[in-house]
Amino acid sequence: MTTTINSNGNQLIASFIGRLDTAAAISTAEAVKPLMEAQEKEIILDCSQLEYISSSGLRIFLSIRKEAAQHNSKVIVKDINADIRQVFMMTGFLSLFDIQ
Amino acid sequence: MEALDLHSQFIIEEYQESLPVFERMKEEVLTVLRDAIGHNGLVVTAIEARIKTEESLAGKLALKGAKYGSLSDITDILGARIITFYTDDVDRLAAITEQLFEIDWNNSVDKRTLHQLDSFGYNSLHYICRLPDYPFRFEIQIRTTLQHAWAAINHDIGYKSGIEIPREYMRQMNRLSGILEMADDEFSRIRTEINDYRRRVQQLVQNGKLDDVLLDGDTFRSYIQAGPLDNLNKRIAAINQAEIMDTPLIRYLRVLKALDCQTLGDVSRLIKKYEEDAYILARHQLGNTDIDIISSSVGLQNICIVCILSSGGGKVGLKRMFDAINGHNSQNDAIADITFELASNLPFMKK
Repeated sequence: MTTTINSNGNQLIASFIGRLDTAAAISTAEAVKPLMEAQEKEIILDCSQLEYISSSGLRIFLSIRKEAAQHNSKVIVKDINADIRQVFMMTGFLSLFDIQ
Repeated sequence: MEALDLHSQFIIEEYQESLPVFERMKEEVLTVLRDAIGHNGLVVTAIEARIKTEESLAGKLALKGAKYGSLSDITDILGARIITFYTDDVDRLAAITEQLFEIDWNNSVDKRTLHQLDSFGYNSLHYICRLPDYPFRFEIQIRTTLQHAWAAINHDIGYKSGIEIPREYMRQMNRLSGILEMADDEFSRIRTEINDYRRRVQQLVQNGKLDDVLLDGDTFRSYIQAGPLDNLNKRIAAINQAEIMDTPLIRYLRVLKALDCQTLGDVSRLIKKYEEDAYILARHQLGNTDIDIISSSVGLQNICIVCILSSGGGKVGLKRMFDAINGHNSQNDAIADITFELASNLPFMKK
């Protein structure tokens, strides 16, 4: 599992590559820390290469959303695959995130 | 400074030496006011304070320096201002200010009570106050946002130019003040009526008279606070011993209205009618996974899905629902497809 963060103007783009499972959660949580302090940014969670997300991964996404709200930033989840879309639907997370 | 007489120059020197005292007073006054406003649950537009500049003080002394024996006779070196949304909050803040500070009643003015019956003008409440352990008095002004706007514009076009504006324009400004006074009263009245309405709605919800309450953002919130979905969400969470993340449900208001819910009674009946199938749908979806976190919206989401599918709404109906929740975007088609496939073998689809 690889997580990279790039900046593009007012956007911070976090790209997740691989499987965000329990084993990968600790390193991913560490990797997304810069997103937690972003003030008034548009945070894009690019999931185009994310194959799988576990409950631990969902909790990381929730933490990003919570911190973003406190720092007047906005989170957009982009390009989730069919399996992850199903996870978001089954858990009711669709109404928590802006999914594009 | 050169134009000032010796007496005024002494006052200016006293001012310069006392600036650190005024800075401390300013911070203390702001802290005391902010704490009290927060403690009393009031929301205001602004709390601000300023120390009069030396230039402004010199101007004042040039005009009427002889009136002041010393710096402590000048009561507006430190001025604080509280700007409220509503007229009745001015009264509440006045009462709070009287408790917080020692008031110099001889120099405090409620300009709201000084108006002639046939004229309008500057509305504001001015208190001259004192903090314990400080030698200087200070001023607190309390006014509404509209009063503040009028005063600021009046200052800009009148005093700032240094030229007295013609009587006709003064009359027009005062006429506007009358309109703003009416607007202030109307805002307060509307707030009071909305609060009364919310109290009545809460009472009706508590008494179970849900058919008497029209469905809107306010009433829906009151209803959800009573926890009509808690049982369903707990049952769904129990499938995988999941944690429930509290989520606002207001996005579902549009969906419920589209499902022909006009009163809270309609929403209550919808929940009762579909909650068992909503649970079965969740068990079918989550039962084979190890997902141990769900949103508190999942119960209502599944109720809406079951309602749409069992009444023949199909994928199109689901797509409309996800559009209402997420806004229009291309992902909603795929989400509707997945939802439809997952539900396709469940009993409610065959009814």
